[in-house]
Amino acid sequence: MHPILSNLRRLLWTMLAWLLAGLVSATILVLTGLAAWQNALFFAIPVLLIYGFIATSSYYVCRSLPLAKRSFFLVSAVFGGASLISGFTWLGICIIWNKLGRALGEPWAGIEISPQLSIVLAIGAVILYLLAILAHDVLIAFENLGAAERRAARAQLLARDAELQVLRSQINPHFLFNSLNSISALTSIAPASARAMTLELANFFRLTLAFSEKTKITLNEEISLCQHFLAIEKIRFGKKLQVKITLDPLSLTSLIPPMLLQPLIENAIKHGIRDLVGGGTIRILSIVRDGWLHIAIQNPVDTQPSSMPGNGTGLKNLQARFASLYADQARVSWVKSTDNFSLEMALPLEYTANT
Amino acid sequence: MNKPLQILIVDDEELARRLIREYLQTHRDIEIIGECENGLEALQAIPEQNPDLIFLDIQMPKLSGLEVLELSGRDTGVIFTTAYDQYALKAFDLHAVDYLLKPFSQQRFDEALAKGRKMLGQANPGLHDLLARPISKLERIVIRDRGQLHVIPVDQIDYVEAQGDYIKIHTAAKSHLKTQSLSELEAQLDSNKFVRIHRSYLIRLAALKGLQRAGKDAQVALMLNGAQLPISRAGYERLKSML
Repeated sequence: MHPILSNLRRLLWTMLAWLLAGLVSATILVLTGLAAWQNALFFAIPVLLIYGFIATSSYYVCRSLPLAKRSFFLVSAVFGGASLISGFTWLGICIIWNKLGRALGEPWAGIEISPQLSIVLAIGAVILYLLAILAHDVLIAFENLGAAERRAARAQLLARDAELQVLRSQINPHFLFNSLNSISALTSIAPASARAMTLELANFFRLTLAFSEKTKITLNEEISLCQHFLAIEKIRFGKKLQVKITLDPLSLTSLIPPMLLQPLIENAIKHGIRDLVGGGTIRILSIVRDGWLHIAIQNPVDTQPSSMPGNGTGLKNLQARFASLYADQARVSWVKSTDNFSLEMALPLEYTANT
Repeated sequence: MNKPLQILIVDDEELARRLIREYLQTHRDIEIIGECENGLEALQAIPEQNPDLIFLDIQMPKLSGLEVLELSGRDTGVIFTTAYDQYALKAFDLHAVDYLLKPFSQQRFDEALAKGRKMLGQANPGLHDLLARPISKLERIVIRDRGQLHVIPVDQIDYVEAQGDYIKIHTAAKSHLKTQSLSELEAQLDSNKFVRIHRSYLIRLAALKGLQRAGKDAQVALMLNGAQLPISRAGYERLKSML
């Protein structure tokens, strides 16, 4: 969309500016003794208004050369060429208009266009066109700035949504009510286990609340949260749920966003282990290499399609979270085969100053 | 003396099964005839043991509680147990089907049991409606064909064809016959993905390649798998509104 032609207010202001330019030109013609007032106005105002329209074409000239791709020679050639073409075109229009005026035979129409005046007109037109290019460049820059701001605001909104999702997933009603049901069963069968499960549940929620206020926690802290979660799920699922965690010692104190792994482990159970009659093992692995923290999570899945396939919201949220926290500096990818799901992420390695 | 009430407990969590066992201890004329920990086991046990009452969990490996009922054709003596499933709960309320929300008390359990005992042997029309018109759209279709279980994700269906009392579900791999009406299946599937183009044909929109003229005012649907299906006038209107 053309920023001026598509906006009536801008168009009116632009035309007002060119009308003023017409008045100034007429005044110059009069002051230099080249024409009388009536003749000067009759000549200058229409041709400058027409030139106003011609000059709006500079918008497309600007767009053809994005700021990032400009070099001196290219800019000189394209902008200079466009300015010369429109300048000389306009000179032609001036001459034709003047001839038409003269043909009326009236004393107030038509001026004398000498070769010198032609040159002055052409040079003036070229300069005006260059100014128009400059003005459009500024307009485009403002537009881009607005778009960039909108994009940034949107990214922020997405990130906030993702954070909210993370918090909401912590009070997953399924997990909570099923755990309470297990505790209810244990109270008479094995009171000590009921108490242990209650404490695990309390610890899990306490850590969740504490971590959700922080922007970064250590991997070790996140793993301890996961351990509480897994302890509860192991009581529910028994031997079906096996977990193997292998951590690089260097990774333990590295910083990650809170609640990064726990929702993934929850999904590994929900969409993986739980569907399997014989259960399976979730593998969690961390490695520090070349300034990156790599974390991988793997779990078996049933070959038979699930009755409640995930809609990928959790993974999309994770991507949005990475984008807002790390821009392009962190990666997450996942692969689902017929009987396995594996997810890998790489984050820039970070430690707190005092560790 | 009456014959004891025969009960089957179906839940994938051992503790949940033990809790039901414990709650049943206070009742005298009860016999627990079995426990199942996944949908497949339940599907086998239900016709074999023919229990009077089933405590049935919804989310289980292999087959959900609802799929077990659909495949076994059981429409009486079922009490659902679930922790949280907003769609299922809505459906239960809608069709007046009894359920126990985990965790539940002995008192609530006794009420459900008493109600189940009273209704013993009476078919519950609510159960049938619940299966015919689920509140959330189907993600997969389960079919039992000569003892073999087939699970078809709805995204793999090309089209479904009505054949008398059966429907024939066509996928890239093979076709499956199922006893169901095409209209009933149509109601269970996402109407943004599936279109009824003809009295006898329901297609998945993404499996449609294009339309071809076949004489005056007649169109034929060309499917990606090469099949050519007739389109009725009403079907054409429906299809047009979606393309």
